[in-house]
Amino acid sequence: MSWLARLAAGAPAPVYPVIGEGAQPRVERLFASAALERAQSPRAAALLLVSGNIPEAHREALDRVHDQVPRPRLGLHWEGDDGIEERLLDAWRTLCAGATGDADRLPDEPPNPWEGEGDFGQGGEGMMGGVPYGRPMAMTGEDVRDGLELDRYTARVGPFAPMLPPGLVLEVTLQGDVIVACDVLSPPYPQPEDADDPALCAARMLRLLGLPGPADRLIRGGAAHAIGARRAIPRGLGRLENAGDARMRFADALRGRNGGAADGIFDTLIGLEWSEAALALASVTPSALRQAALEVA
Amino acid sequence: MATLLVIAFWTAASVALALALSRLQNRTSAPQAAPFLGGGTPDTHAWQRYHFRAYTMTLLFIAFEMEMMFMYPWAVVFVSEGLKAMAEMGMFLTILAVGILYGWREGVFRWE
Amino acid sequence: MTTALLVLTLASTLAVGAWLGAWFDRLAPLLYGGRAAGPLAPLRAGAAALLRPRIETEAPDRMNARLAPGWYLALAAAGLSVVPFAPGAALIETPVGIVVWGSCEALTIVAVFLHGWSPNAPFPLIGAYRYAAIGLPVMLPSMFVLIAAALPAESLSFTAIVESQREVWNIVRQPLGLPLFLIVGLTLTLRGPMDFADAADIAGGTSAEDSGPGRALWQGARLAMLVSFSAVAATTFLGGPLGPALPGPVWLWIKTAAIMALTVAVGHGVARTTPSRMLTILWVVLLPLSFVHLLVSGVLAL
Repeated sequence: MSWLARLAAGAPAPVYPVIGEGAQPRVERLFASAALERAQSPRAAALLLVSGNIPEAHREALDRVHDQVPRPRLGLHWEGDDGIEERLLDAWRTLCAGATGDADRLPDEPPNPWEGEGDFGQGGEGMMGGVPYGRPMAMTGEDVRDGLELDRYTARVGPFAPMLPPGLVLEVTLQGDVIVACDVLSPPYPQPEDADDPALCAARMLRLLGLPGPADRLIRGGAAHAIGARRAIPRGLGRLENAGDARMRFADALRGRNGGAADGIFDTLIGLEWSEAALALASVTPSALRQAALEVA
Repeated sequence: MATLLVIAFWTAASVALALALSRLQNRTSAPQAAPFLGGGTPDTHAWQRYHFRAYTMTLLFIAFEMEMMFMYPWAVVFVSEGLKAMAEMGMFLTILAVGILYGWREGVFRWE
Repeated sequence: MTTALLVLTLASTLAVGAWLGAWFDRLAPLLYGGRAAGPLAPLRAGAAALLRPRIETEAPDRMNARLAPGWYLALAAAGLSVVPFAPGAALIETPVGIVVWGSCEALTIVAVFLHGWSPNAPFPLIGAYRYAAIGLPVMLPSMFVLIAAALPAESLSFTAIVESQREVWNIVRQPLGLPLFLIVGLTLTLRGPMDFADAADIAGGTSAEDSGPGRALWQGARLAMLVSFSAVAATTFLGGPLGPALPGPVWLWIKTAAIMALTVAVGHGVARTTPSRMLTILWVVLLPLSFVHLLVSGVLAL
């Protein structure tokens, strides 16, 4: 073990959590108190913590996130038993000591075959033909805000995206960073009642507002002392009938009150900028969001 | 000349460091290289004719950037010229401030 | 000889300052009843990142993916070069110091943009364009603040700005300056309320696809920029190397560390609003406020 590896072994283990059915509250509580580093993307992680049941339909998505953790990597399962922090730290030390870790799960094939046609082998003519470097290029379409014809970018985000509730898969079409079309492909996973705990709900929004410290404190049972958290949420964002807007729901959650139903929340996403959409989705409880998603999915 | 040499020196040193570090690389497999979307997949490349929502704001920005160029020499002679310099810059800024108000009314700071 | 000494001083100030900034970041949880880490923690995290491999995204802009952290670091170092470590002893001793620093600020937007552009991935790309939209208008208060500091000095050189503070520091006669400049610093170092490039809602934004040594260098460059910004702020508002008893560089280091701590604390405790609202706030509140700042500083300088 080199001196660099020995130094690294003392660092907090960088973990990307994959949250399955019923695991959201325990994973959020784990990272609020443990000496672990919750990586914002699998690129920054070495360990993949899979917690709760992952439905068969999302197996490929799980494998994709698994493969996006740079090698050497280790995947761990956690079903809520004690001692997970030690297990993660042990795994991290094993990797630092030079373990080879898990192999890729998906086949090493490019997303689209190389066709050897066209100027750059992209399989088509000119700038837009075929699939340059394995993928097509984006094409133009009309924008919902100002009607300019610029490129639309369509992608499926989730089920393990850090800014969306676990299990939720959105097929979004973006122009720039504004959502012009949005379909729910799969609803958020069912979570225990505990996931609706107002402290956890408010903490999710605090994290999106760039306040991980106050968010952790809130989860541990303290008060969230942050400047401008409520006012940072635009007024009228994610406004629902009988449930106010995101700012109001955040203030309620801080006071320990839970919001009601979230029907129609997905319709409010069209025309929102990406960070506004993430805030709007985080402003309702996981159970209400699941109900709303089941109705539109 | 010394200024340029110093800047060139720091640039060369930083670039050398960046290149040295980028040599430590694993072979990236195809599933590993896919853009991160929380398990999802994209239809197309991310590079696109991006809808930059602040484009009208950038025009207003250019007006202010030009104004900065006048402010550099103005700042040096400000104390010796006294109230005259103050009044001149005050008029200039007032005209530009009208531009901000107009832009605000037209919604150039909104994300569209 | 003096030049070599200054280069060494600068490089070690950046290195030690980056370590200190990283430690401040790990002390910040104390403000929220969390656990603080020891002084070795930044070194451990750095080693952990260096040990991880670099990955390459699909069809990236390879040159900029590798070099963007380097550009950022170079800008931090070039910016620090205009700061006098003792009265009259800056590596770049030029009559237009604030213009050089201003260029480093503006080019930071380009470096951050290239960092987000180069991986050819959606979240970094969103972060890159967002940062360009917010970074540009932030440059305006920055220049108003620096020009206001140049008024009593009757010069654009940082050495002259230090000299002009022998009697009274700028923080006293230009009270709005430091708060406005702090917003610039938060933007330049991608922190807290102004971190529109590497935000949580886009999975870490421009660094969402970063791993290994590239990630380590990017985070290191952010910290180096924190050091440079704090040194410039200390020079502009706290009299830089001026002070009793201790030698000039020591005073500069102490003041720089104080500004760094302030920037880190603000970064951890203030919420970040959405980009479109921030854009309006910058133009409609912050820019008029910097007009007022210039007016007040101008009247007081006469």
